[in-house]
Amino acid sequence: MTVEALAAAVVAACEAEGVEHMVTGAFAYGYYGIPRSTKDVDVVLSLAGGEPIRRVVARLDSLVEFEPQVQFDTLTWGKRQVGTTRGSPHFKVELFELFDDPFVLEQFARKRRLFSPQLGCATWLPTPEDVIVQKLRWGRGKDLDDARDVLAVQGPETLDMAYIQAWCARHGTTARLEAALAGIPPM
Amino acid sequence: MPNVHEDPAALKALQDELYREKVRRARAMTPEQRLAEVFELTNGVFARMHDGAMWQLGTTDPVRGWQEVRRRLDRLCRVRDQGRFVHQKPSVP
Repeated sequence: MTVEALAAAVVAACEAEGVEHMVTGAFAYGYYGIPRSTKDVDVVLSLAGGEPIRRVVARLDSLVEFEPQVQFDTLTWGKRQVGTTRGSPHFKVELFELFDDPFVLEQFARKRRLFSPQLGCATWLPTPEDVIVQKLRWGRGKDLDDARDVLAVQGPETLDMAYIQAWCARHGTTARLEAALAGIPPM
Repeated sequence: MPNVHEDPAALKALQDELYREKVRRARAMTPEQRLAEVFELTNGVFARMHDGAMWQLGTTDPVRGWQEVRRRLDRLCRVRDQGRFVHQKPSVP
């Protein structure tokens, strides 16, 4: 199985169950930044409707073996359900619950729909501004590099920098934003 | 030929030029092309991990190769989840 076939299956499961979703992680980063490999398919799910994660997990059961317990990750998206593909290669699937955080909710509300020829379907991605804000908020070394890369590839002149600056001010990450911008050499 | 690692300014200039090249290349691609490259890189990396595991195990059994790749990735996940990754070089006395 290819990683795009797995991603397509996860998106199809969300669509089939009527679960509002947004693809994040390396896919969203790569769409706006510098492509790199990944080991997992990360998707944020709305909690609207009855037990959306359980229904998506059940629909993916033939393809993905999910761990029975939900994990809690304070750095990223709150609760997540982690699974591994039953066949090879053993990609990970991480389903994150949308939770009650002003930025997370706004990011989800601003998501964009796109059609991917490789996935063979339409799906949802965060905006580049929201990828940057989220990466700066997480603040791990790789996240800060990712934020700089999206800024560099998209170009600050094409981005809604006022929106980014406003969220960074709320998150206390303005210094990280300034460092990311300063880290981009003149093109 | 001078060793660029002995000249901080030259090293920084080289790093910047390499980074500029990566950014220019990404800018020249459409978003769909970049996403396609994420898929291609990921599938390629897994294939190389599989090849490497099979070579190290001295096996021609692809199932054993994938089991070994999974074992290694699971171990990396555990190390990450326990916060044992460090981003700085260990100090040298």
